[in-house]
Amino acid sequence: MGRDTRRSRLVIVALLIVAFTLITLDYKTGRSASGARGVVHSVLGGVEDGVTTVTRPIGRTASSLTHPNRYHDRADRLAQENAGLRRQLADNAEIGRMSKQLGDLRLIADKGQYSIVPAKVIAVGDVTGTDWTVTINAGRDDGVDVDKTVLNADGLVGTVSSATAHTAVVRLACDPGSRVGARLERTQLLGAVAGGQGPSALTFTLYDASYRVQKGDRLVTFGSMDYVAGVPIGVVTKVTDVGGLSRTAEVKPYVSVGTLDLVGVVVGRPATDPGDRLLAPQPVPPPPAAQAPAAGTGAPTTPGGAAATPTNPGSPPASAPVAAPGTGPTRPGQGGTG
Amino acid sequence: MWDIAGSADTLRARTFVAAVTLLAVALVVQVSIVARLGLPGGRLDLVLVLLAVISLIEGPVVGSVSGFVVGVLADLASSHVLGQSALVMCLVGYAVGLVMDAAESSVAVPLSAIGGASVAGTLGYAATTSIFGAAALTGGEAVGRALAAGVYAVLLTPFLFPLLAAGSRRLSGRPRQSSGRLRRGAR
Repeated sequence: MGRDTRRSRLVIVALLIVAFTLITLDYKTGRSASGARGVVHSVLGGVEDGVTTVTRPIGRTASSLTHPNRYHDRADRLAQENAGLRRQLADNAEIGRMSKQLGDLRLIADKGQYSIVPAKVIAVGDVTGTDWTVTINAGRDDGVDVDKTVLNADGLVGTVSSATAHTAVVRLACDPGSRVGARLERTQLLGAVAGGQGPSALTFTLYDASYRVQKGDRLVTFGSMDYVAGVPIGVVTKVTDVGGLSRTAEVKPYVSVGTLDLVGVVVGRPATDPGDRLLAPQPVPPPPAAQAPAAGTGAPTTPGGAAATPTNPGSPPASAPVAAPGTGPTRPGQGGTG
Repeated sequence: MWDIAGSADTLRARTFVAAVTLLAVALVVQVSIVARLGLPGGRLDLVLVLLAVISLIEGPVVGSVSGFVVGVLADLASSHVLGQSALVMCLVGYAVGLVMDAAESSVAVPLSAIGGASVAGTLGYAATTSIFGAAALTGGEAVGRALAAGVYAVLLTPFLFPLLAAGSRRLSGRPRQSSGRLRRGAR
């Protein structure tokens, strides 16, 4: 193979030059290849959707086959029937799980008066594993567009960073490039939540240095052009900087990236002023709302805590009674997607 | 040796097309299935493993070119700078291809080459990402994930390497024994 050495050296040098040229062009001009990217995204998205559709039943069948009691070596008919029933059971479990997720999603959407498009995650990240993105199976045809907020039953997932006709790429809140306007529970104090700390931690910067952020404080989105207001983000786990001009704290997001499955894209923001609607969905996340000692500072701005209670008498997430009225009146624009 | 250039080139083209197709399939499998498995410690990088196996069997030219092509495809399918994983992948393909002659001599060579390729590739991704974009991982995390990827790659190699070697033999029309595996390998 000695004869190949010179040729392979030439090849690798040529490839490196091309790679660096591509990098330079793309880095300098930003979105230079957006057309090609769109094509690849929609093609790969379709394939990924297909793969996910195919592999889910296979996974279920496999799990039904690995069950200890299998009767394959007995009568074939019985075995088939058995496998069929097991598959059906597994299907039912899957359907039950999915409907619970849908119900939870519906509940949070109703509390925030959001119009959402439900979608399933069909691919996680990219090949290199360095992109904090997921691909979902809803696209422009379903009303999903770039910069729409994405949430699931637990809270904020991210924003749509690109969309094709039937798929969309969601940039997760923990992406290093993600920056979300956030508001502390029960106050109007503003800050920003940024990613870059890995999947299970966010960095919260409070702009008002006079306020003491405390462990256990909860955050919701502030709402802006891109973001709808009031989506739960996470809970403060550690205050990292107590001096200086701003306060920073570590936030544990409500959404766990590893188990993302069903998400909702907010396609319609609340009709009323988001500034007043902020606190409506806030009691949805975990209960300990009672002890937020510094809540007094936000006395005029605490209608949420009070307003939310009469609407749902058992304010801890008692999902069954609240879900029933919640799911009844459907909102405009909630397109059903597969 | 140039008298057989014609047939060698068509053979190389066929090998190359097969390699790129296989890697493109792995690309989709990686994001749709492997990434969702939630393996502890990090993730198996199927594309890097397959690329390393192909380079080890076919040499540096096929390795670097197919790595480059699939890298560009992966870049187009992601949101980071275009050409970044193409750079990493063609370097990995070339470097692994350089030890192809030693691959037959010992079992340790393919294992360490493919495991090393996964480690180096994962570190390369992390490095290029932190150079060209925002750093998605801290150094420690990147090293941990790279090591995990290497371990998974070593675990997978005993299955993939014979399979692809058989497929390559069949593609090049040099049949040997173990014909039972050929059909699956040639896919």
